Amino acid sequence: MNPVQSLAMLQNALTVGAILFSLGLVGILTRRNLIVMFLAAEMMLQGISVSLVAWSRHHGDWGGHVLVIFVLTVAACEAAVALVFVLQAFSRTGRLDAAAWQSLREATVGRTVDRELPAAGAAPPPFPTLTRAGVQPPGGEHAPLEREHV
Amino acid sequence: MTPSLDPVLPGAILAGGVLAAAASLWLLLPNGPDRTATRRLGTLLGLLALGAFIVTGRRLGGFGEEAVFLIVSLVAVVAAAATIVSRSPVYAAIWFALSLCGVAGVLLVLGAQFLGVATIVVYAGAILVMFLFVLMLAQPAGLAPYDRVSNEPFLSALAGAVLLGVLSLSIGRLSAAPAACCGLPSRAQAGADAAAAAATPPAAGAADPLAENHVARLGGELFGRHLVAVEAAGVLLLVALIGAIAVVARGEDVHASMADDAGRAVR
Amino acid sequence: MQDLSPATLLVLVPLLPLIGAILTVLLGGRLGGRAHLPAMAGIAGAAVVAILLLAATARDVSPAHGPRAEPIRPVEMIATLWNWASFDDAYTPPPGSPAAAVRSVADATAGRAGGDVRGFSIPVSLRLDPLTATMLTIITSVGLLVAIYSTGYMHGDPGYPRFFALVAMFVFSMSMLVAASNFLLVYVFWEAVGACSYLLIGFWFTKPEAARAAKKAFLVNRVGDFGLAIGVFLLWMTYGTLDFHDTISPQGVIMPGILGQTRLADAAGYAGGAVGTAICLLLLLAACGKSAQLPLHVWLPDAMEGPTPASALIHAATMVTAGIYLVARSAPLFAACPGALTLVSIVGATTALVAALIGTVQNDLKRVLAYSTISQLGYMFASLGTGTLLGFTAAIFHLLTHACFKALLFLGAGSVMHSMGGVIDMRRFGGLRRVMPVTAATFLVGALALAGVAPFAGFFSKDEILAALHAKGWPSAHGEHHAVVATEGPLRLASFATGASFATGAAAHDAVGLDTLDRPETWRLLFWMSLATAGLTAFYTFRAVFMTFTGPTRVPSGAHGHGEHGHESYESPAPMTLPLIVLAVASAAVGWLLFATNWLSHFLSATPSLTAAAVASTAVPHAFHLDLAIQGTLAAAIGIVVAAIGHLGRRSDGPQMERFLGPLQTLFANKFYFDQIYTALVVRPLEALSLVAALVDRHVIDGAVDAIAHVPVAVGGIIRRGQSGLMQRYALAGVMGVLTIVVLLAWQLRG
Repeated sequence: MNPVQSLAMLQNALTVGAILFSLGLVGILTRRNLIVMFLAAEMMLQGISVSLVAWSRHHGDWGGHVLVIFVLTVAACEAAVALVFVLQAFSRTGRLDAAAWQSLREATVGRTVDRELPAAGAAPPPFPTLTRAGVQPPGGEHAPLEREHV
Repeated sequence: MTPSLDPVLPGAILAGGVLAAAASLWLLLPNGPDRTATRRLGTLLGLLALGAFIVTGRRLGGFGEEAVFLIVSLVAVVAAAATIVSRSPVYAAIWFALSLCGVAGVLLVLGAQFLGVATIVVYAGAILVMFLFVLMLAQPAGLAPYDRVSNEPFLSALAGAVLLGVLSLSIGRLSAAPAACCGLPSRAQAGADAAAAAATPPAAGAADPLAENHVARLGGELFGRHLVAVEAAGVLLLVALIGAIAVVARGEDVHASMADDAGRAVR
Repeated sequence: MQDLSPATLLVLVPLLPLIGAILTVLLGGRLGGRAHLPAMAGIAGAAVVAILLLAATARDVSPAHGPRAEPIRPVEMIATLWNWASFDDAYTPPPGSPAAAVRSVADATAGRAGGDVRGFSIPVSLRLDPLTATMLTIITSVGLLVAIYSTGYMHGDPGYPRFFALVAMFVFSMSMLVAASNFLLVYVFWEAVGACSYLLIGFWFTKPEAARAAKKAFLVNRVGDFGLAIGVFLLWMTYGTLDFHDTISPQGVIMPGILGQTRLADAAGYAGGAVGTAICLLLLLAACGKSAQLPLHVWLPDAMEGPTPASALIHAATMVTAGIYLVARSAPLFAACPGALTLVSIVGATTALVAALIGTVQNDLKRVLAYSTISQLGYMFASLGTGTLLGFTAAIFHLLTHACFKALLFLGAGSVMHSMGGVIDMRRFGGLRRVMPVTAATFLVGALALAGVAPFAGFFSKDEILAALHAKGWPSAHGEHHAVVATEGPLRLASFATGASFATGAAAHDAVGLDTLDRPETWRLLFWMSLATAGLTAFYTFRAVFMTFTGPTRVPSGAHGHGEHGHESYESPAPMTLPLIVLAVASAAVGWLLFATNWLSHFLSATPSLTAAAVASTAVPHAFHLDLAIQGTLAAAIGIVVAAIGHLGRRSDGPQMERFLGPLQTLFANKFYFDQIYTALVVRPLEALSLVAALVDRHVIDGAVDAIAHVPVAVGGIIRRGQSGLMQRYALAGVMGVLTIVVLLAWQLRG
C-alpha cells in the first residue's frame, strides 16, 4: 500500500476509534444503570484497541497489537472484580443505580431524588431470571415440568 | 496527489457532523417520558452526523476496500450509539455485542487477525455473558426509574462533542512523515523513502503485522520481547480471580436495608 | 579639652545610679528588706563624684577680681561617648538662618560646590560646666537624703524594691538631662524623667486616685513635651545642629553648636524675630509643663498621691526644676528675643501669685506644700525672665535653696503623715510639737526659710530675685550698669542675624508684638506681685505650721505611737529624722554662706550660656539691697502675724481665717476652676472622640473585617452545593477539566 493509502487508512481507523471512545465517554457520564456504565467503559476500551491497532499497522510493528492484548486481559480482570462490587452494591441498596450512593455529599446538602416520572409504557416481556446459586428453587420436584415459561 | 485535502470545507462539514452527533445523542438519551418526535429528530440528526463523517473520510483507493471498511465501521458505530441510548439494559447489552462484531470487523480489515477473533471470543463470549448474568440477577422487572433518566445529558453530550472535535481535528492534521522523535522502523517512513527513491511499493519488513504468518509471529513477539509482561498479566488474572472470590465469600445479606445514608456502619 | 579623668567621673554620675537601678530590678525580690542597698550605693557614689566634679570645676573658674574685670572665661568640658546616628545629605537650611551662614564658612574652607545639602549627626556627649555641676550636686545629694529617708518611710511596703529602683532610675535620668550636651538627648531624658514621675506618682496604682493623678501628670506633661519636640525641630532647622558645644567636622571645619563658644562669641549668632521667638515660646511651653507653671500646673497638686519621699525628690527639688534648667541653659536664645523673656517673667509671677492664693485655703498639708512649690517655681521663672546675669544666677540660687528647704518641708510632712497613720488633713491633728519634737523643729526651720526670714536660706535668694525684678522696673535706681535696657543698645542689635525671615535689627523684632511688653511698667507690676506673693507665702506656710504643731495636742485614732500611754512619742525613726536634720542645717546655713561669699554667682557666670555677651554685659557688682530686704521682711512679717492671729495656739482648732474671704474662698478652694475648665474644654471632647473611635472600631472596622470573613463562608456555601455525592457528576466535572486542558494544549500546538 502506498503511503497515501496507508495514511488514509490510518485516519479512517483513528476516526472510528475516536467515535467509539467518545460514545463510551458519554455513556459513562450519562447512564445511571451500573451495567450500562460498564458496557460504555468497555466500549471506550474498544475504541482504544482500534486506535492502537491502526497505529501499529501504520508503523509496521507489533507494539500496538501487544498492548491491545494486555488491554484485553486487564479488561477481563476489571470486569470480573467490578461485577462483584456491583453485586455487593445491589445487595445493599436493592438497585443497580449509580445515584443510590450519595454518602460523599456535604452534610448540609440534601439527598438528590429523581423527579416523578409517569408510568412507563407496556412493560417489556419478563425475561427468565436465575435463582440464587445454592438455593432450592421454589416449588416441588415437579416444578420444572410445570413452569409457565422458560 | 497530496496527502492533505483542501482543509476548509471538510473542516466545516466535520464540525457540523460533530455537533449534529452531539445533538442527536442529547435528544436520544433517556430523559423522562419517551416522545416519539424527539426520538425521530435525534435519529435524523444522528444519520446526518454519520453522513458528514463518511463524506469527510479519506479515500482508500479501491471500491471494495472502501465498501468493506464502511460497512464494518458503520455497524460498530451505530451499534455503539444504540448501546448507550437504549433504555433497557438488556437491549443495551445485545447492541453492545453487535458493536463488538463491528469492531472485530474493523480489526480484521486493519490486518489484526488474531485480535479480531480474540475480541469476539473474550469480550462477546465471556465479558458480555457475565454482564448478562448480573442483569438477570439484579435487574427488576420492567424499566427501573433510573433507566429512564440520564445524568446531565446536555453537559455530557457537550463534553463528548468537544472531545470528538479535538480528536478529529488532530487526526485530520496527521501527515505522512512520522514524528522525528521515535525512530521506529516505520513502514510509512520506509515507504516514503522508497517512494522518493523508486515508485515501486516497498516490501514489508519482517516485523510487519501485515506480513504472512501473522499469528505465529505475534506469538513470537509476545513471548519473546514481552515475556515478562505476559507472565505479569497471567498473575494479574489469577489475582483478580482470587480477589473476586474473596470479596464474594464475605457473604452479604440480600435482604439488607435499602438505605445507604442512614449512617449505617460498613460491614 | 582637659585631661580625661573628669570625663570618666562625669560618666560615673549617671552610670552608678543606673547600675543601682538595674541591680535593684534584678535582685530586689531576693534582697527583700535590704533592697535599698544597690540603689542607695549608686546614688551615694554619684553624690560623691558630683561633689568632686563640683570642686574640679570650681578650680577651673578664674577667680573674681574687682568690678568690671575682664570678661569671665567660660568653663566647659565635653565627653563624647559615642555617635548615636549620623546622616549624610540630611537637609537644606532655610536661607538667612544662622545655619545657612555657617555653610558659607564651611564651603569656603572645604572648597565644596553644589547644592546646600547638609549632613546631621547626633553624638552622645556629656558636658561639665558650672551650671551642670551645681545641678548634679543638688540632684544627687537630695536624692541620697531621700533614699535614706525612704528606708524608714517605705519600710514594710510590698513595693519596696520597686520604689528604690524607680528612685535610682530617676536620679540617672535627671543627671543625664542636666549633663547632656545635645538638645535631642535633653528631650530623651525629659521624657524619661516624666516617665519616672508617672511611675512614682502611681506607685500605689491600685488606688484609683493615684492612677488617675499619674495619668493626669503624664498627659499634662505631654503638652509641654510636644512644645519641646517642635522646639527641637525648629532649633535644628535654624541652627543646623542640636549640639550645645562646637564640634569639628571630618574636614576640619568647626561646626558651631547652639550654645558653643564660637556662636556665643559671634555677634550675629542667634536668630531673633518670628522664628527665634517661636523657639523660645516653645521652650517656655515645655518648661511650663515640667515645672508646673500656668496653665499646665494642674498636675502637681494631684501628684501628691505619690509617696512623700518621691514628692520631696521629684516634685519639690529636682524634676520640676528641669524647666528652670532648660531656660537657664537656653539663655542666649532667649536673650535674642526680649519679648519672650518678658513673657517668661509674666508667666512666672502670675503663677506665683495664683498658686499662693490657692495655697492659703488648702487643708491638706502636702497640698499646701505643692502649691508652695508651684509658687516658688514661679519666682524662679520671674527671675529668669529678667534676662540679666543677676536674674539667671538668682534663679539658680533660689533653685538650690528651694531644693533644701522644700525637700525638708516635704520630708517633714511625710514624717507627720507616717506617724499619724496616713492622715494629712491638718484639721484632724494639732499641737504635734510636743510629741514630735525633731520633726517640729526642722519643719519650723524649713518654714522660716520658705517665708524668707533672715538669716535662713530663702531670705537671701528671694532678696536677689526681688533685686533683679526691681532693677528692671526702676532702671535708673541701679546706676549705669543697666543702660542696656534702652532699645538701641548695640548689644541688642548685634544679637540678631541677617536674613528676611530672621530678625533684621530693630524693625523686625517689633513685628512679633511681644516686645512691647518689655517696659518698666510691666516690671514694676511684676515686682509688686512678687512682693505680695512673699507675704502670702509667709502666711500660708505659718498657717500650716501653727495648725499642725501648735495648740492642743490632738492625734487621730490610727496614729502609730510608741512609748507608755500618756507620754507617747510619735517621733519618726532615725532614718527619717536624720535627713531632716541635715536639710535643716543646710537650709539655715547655705543661703548665708553663698550670699556672703558671692561664690555661686561668680561660679555660675562661668557657664558658657551665661557668658553670652547679651547676658554677661548685665553683670553688676554684688551688693546687699537693704531697701529690698526691708520690703521683703516686712511682707513676710505681715504674713506671719496674720497667720498667728488666725491660727496660733488654741485658735488652731477654731474656725478658719478663710471665712473672711467670702466668695473668694470658693474661688481659691476650687483652684480657680482650672480643672473644671480643662475637663470641659479638653477631657470631654476627647472622651466623645474616643467614644466615636470605639464605635467606629467596633462596628465599621470590625464590621468590615467580619463582612470579609463572611465572604468565604458564603462562597463556600454556594460551592458546597456542588458536592452532591453523585459520582457521575464528579466524573463529569473531571472530564470537563481534562477537556479544557486538552483543548488548551491543542490550541497551543495548532501551529
